[in-house]
Amino acid sequence: MATHHDSVPDTISELHPAWALASADRLSSALDYAEAFTAAYAASENGSAAAREAAALRVQFPAILLPPEEGDRFAGRVRYGLVGFSPEPVGLGYYCARDALTRAGERYPHEGDRIHALLAFWEERTTDRRTRAAFPDDLAGLLPSDAWTQESGVAFPLYRMAGTTLDYRRLLRLGLDGLEELTAETPFSHVVPTLRRSLEWYRAAAGGHTDPAGAAIADTIAAILHAPPATYRQAIQLFWLYALHAGTWNYGRLDDALGPFLAADLDDGRLTEEEALDLTVSLWRLMQAYDNQFNNRVIVGGIGRSNPVAADRFALMAIEATRRLRGNQPQLSLRCSADQDRRLWERAMDAIGEGTTFPILYNDDVNVPAVARAFGVEESIAAEYTPFGCGEYVLGPHSEGSPNGVINLMKALEVALHGGVDPWSGRRVAALPEATELTSFEAVWDVYCTVVDMHVAALARHQMIEYEVVAAEAPFGFISALTAGCIEHGTGAFAGGAEHRGGTIETYGNTNTADSLHAIDELVFSRGVVSLPELVRVLDADFQLDHEAGGSGGQRETHPLLNACLAVAKYGNDDDVADRMAQRVHAQVCGAAREQAPRVGLDSYLVVIINNWANTILGRRTGAGADGRRAGAPMANGNNPTPGMDRTGPTAVLNSLAKLDPTVHAGAVQNMKFSREWFGGMRAKMDALLKTYFRSGGTQAMITVVDRGDLEAAMREPEKWGHLMVRVGGFSVRFVDLPPAAQQEILQRTLY
Amino acid sequence: MAGAGNRTDGTVGMTDDDGMIDEAGATSETSGIVLDIQRAALHDGQGLRATVFLKGCPLRCAWCHNPESQAAYPETGASGKIYGASMSVAAVMVVVERDRGYYDASGGGVTLSGGEPTQQFGFCRELLRAARRAGIHTCLDTCGELPTSRLIELVPLVDLFLFDIKLADAEGHRRWTGVDGTLIRRNLDELLRRGAAVHLRAPIVPGVNDDPVHDRFLRDLEATGQFVAVERMPYHDIGRSKYEDLGRQPPAFDGFLRPGVD
Repeated sequence: MATHHDSVPDTISELHPAWALASADRLSSALDYAEAFTAAYAASENGSAAAREAAALRVQFPAILLPPEEGDRFAGRVRYGLVGFSPEPVGLGYYCARDALTRAGERYPHEGDRIHALLAFWEERTTDRRTRAAFPDDLAGLLPSDAWTQESGVAFPLYRMAGTTLDYRRLLRLGLDGLEELTAETPFSHVVPTLRRSLEWYRAAAGGHTDPAGAAIADTIAAILHAPPATYRQAIQLFWLYALHAGTWNYGRLDDALGPFLAADLDDGRLTEEEALDLTVSLWRLMQAYDNQFNNRVIVGGIGRSNPVAADRFALMAIEATRRLRGNQPQLSLRCSADQDRRLWERAMDAIGEGTTFPILYNDDVNVPAVARAFGVEESIAAEYTPFGCGEYVLGPHSEGSPNGVINLMKALEVALHGGVDPWSGRRVAALPEATELTSFEAVWDVYCTVVDMHVAALARHQMIEYEVVAAEAPFGFISALTAGCIEHGTGAFAGGAEHRGGTIETYGNTNTADSLHAIDELVFSRGVVSLPELVRVLDADFQLDHEAGGSGGQRETHPLLNACLAVAKYGNDDDVADRMAQRVHAQVCGAAREQAPRVGLDSYLVVIINNWANTILGRRTGAGADGRRAGAPMANGNNPTPGMDRTGPTAVLNSLAKLDPTVHAGAVQNMKFSREWFGGMRAKMDALLKTYFRSGGTQAMITVVDRGDLEAAMREPEKWGHLMVRVGGFSVRFVDLPPAAQQEILQRTLY
Repeated sequence: MAGAGNRTDGTVGMTDDDGMIDEAGATSETSGIVLDIQRAALHDGQGLRATVFLKGCPLRCAWCHNPESQAAYPETGASGKIYGASMSVAAVMVVVERDRGYYDASGGGVTLSGGEPTQQFGFCRELLRAARRAGIHTCLDTCGELPTSRLIELVPLVDLFLFDIKLADAEGHRRWTGVDGTLIRRNLDELLRRGAAVHLRAPIVPGVNDDPVHDRFLRDLEATGQFVAVERMPYHDIGRSKYEDLGRQPPAFDGFLRPGVD
């Protein structure tokens, strides 16, 4: 079971600084840098937060920038140091790559003294440690661990200021001189000098090259040192270097920001379509080099853009760039509305049909009013909703909404069924009645809600504490200067300067929890197939019978209750009873989160139901469920049905998805896999399928087009592939319903 | 559910005078034996469709890819898989109705298939009536082997016939399907005479009808311009492993790898 889990990255933090361990020379210069950064911090430690940040960034930039590589059309590569300052890419605020430093000390003992001095200095000074230290005792008790990838627990805090989306239109309109003037009397006055120093460094580095590409980069940089950008190339260059300096890696509505520059260059003959595409692809490559996992969201399309016609031209260019590059970055996302330029939808479907998995589709006609309700803002502000990372929303440059908490709902249910004890750690989470005392479904529901509520409330408090600590630590000038409201108030984005300061909580295991509660209701309380204590005992044994079967090989028999659990109707099949429980679980946790905002002083506190590896990682330390999920197995992803449990076809899945209220959360994602045929001769039916889903209230779609690898995986693990349809001669079948020989036959046919 | 268990003799419930399969009340006007309901089916008529597979077939085509649909009663395979369950017209329609938005957007609807759906005639007719009452587009996927009077009764209820055409000559038809095809041809003519929309589906089976004579026959049909479409469907031997699951010997013919030979 562990083999395929082992490829899952536990964490992305400290990903970048590990480069320093490659050689003794490299480590030595990395330590030189870390010591210089540390000295700058120490010298300004008792000064203002703004002065300290300015001093730190003077060391950090241009030191962590890398020169352009062969083929780059723009300057802008970065490699973070062993200590430094960042909102999220490496760590929160002032960070120290402790793991990398510790490993470096083991590998290069001769540097031990320097490394120990750094570790000692930063021991209690990093912003994440300061946040943890600010927890009141009761909160520390509710959230005892930060090691969500390694330990069992219901809820974990996260340390980051994630998802910030900046007002790049403002940057490109003002240029550096304009922004410098605007920020002159604010805590962000160091921003433009810092950036200009980097530009000068890049101009010198690129200008030394004799090749035309290097010269073009130098010329471009020279043009934007003071004046606003005048061309598409200059606009991309300024945007990109600003984003790298800000430490942000989700870019919002780039079509609205870059579209007018693209349109003007094309119309005036400064660029051909092919040249513009080449520049766009080059930007995509730099994004891929920056982050190769969960971020790099580029949003195109949708309601509320200021330059929709020009923006659509960029949107079409962006889709072409994604088709050209065929990488996993950026995460191009298309906001759709019923009255948009039809070419956007057509090109998007072309790209998806080719198996690019991009763009990710969003339905503005549902999402804008839903976001208005969820965030409690006007629709004009809601129209700025911007998915970032794995699918959480912020309100463009109007809000902060970092996802700083994780809750595992299946673990909450597991704790509820064990009298308040987490059976994996033995830790008592709450004083709750034992399973023997839970004599009705509503009693089970109530204890489950108790566990959820207490942890949601704890995470909301953590969220506010984290904002307060961050606010005292640094103004985050690069972010604040392009966040609506901050310059006007002279206040940092996380300190209350942003117009809307929200927070989000990532929920995992939603589907398994709903299906498990439904199975408990049906098997224990409706049909009396098993008592609750007996069911809990079977779950604790992971559906294995106590005795050894057959006397040899140590193979254990599976408890017959497993089949009964699996046979109970599941979410994702358009079954009203099963889906009602999913709605109830959804409404409960979303409501619990929303209630917290006024209690802790946030403008909103909302659930996000997203996908990344957390469903797998948290699943490893979560016991078997009454839904039939085995102990340690991954949990369902996002809002999706449990893989293989959606047996009724794509319309049924989509109907189930559309039942979950979108007006109470800050983003939910749905993965869908279709055979290539849907995007070939059957494309009109695919269009009808998605458009009907959107008209029925669907919010979002992430579409994978299956290939041979999927079929092979379906043969190995049929329980996960119940949704896979294949065409056989004159009819279609569920692939997993076919006997192995027939599957082999299909597999051979689809070799091309 | 009737729970007929694992009958492995390959017999089929016989049709009585009323056209109802007399299998312990397994099928009637209000309920019948449904093998599966496939939602968002792509290939059973226009648009996105719900295809309702009814069990029972009067033919025994040697190349049958759905042998589990031949018997009119539920069966249990050696693998434990259960083929078929009793459902009422109302219960089928509850499922069908759920995708109405997708039918409207795509020009789709419901398709009755099988087996041969008209084997459960009363159930089939009432399903078509219910769909018609609900304003849902109807397709009937038929082999054409049913009393002509029955077919005529269904014409006003069916928007599009998916009509199988297998072989031109009576001797070959009997050899490979168990019936000589005379009634099938007469029924096809009757549908055309009545102006029904017919989409012909022609399986092309190696060693059976993948020859120039049959190709000419299909091209001649196509040339009449009387059909919505004439579709040639490639043969596959996917049915073989299902025969094995049902404990039955797959028929030997040129298109199959014969048991014991491979």
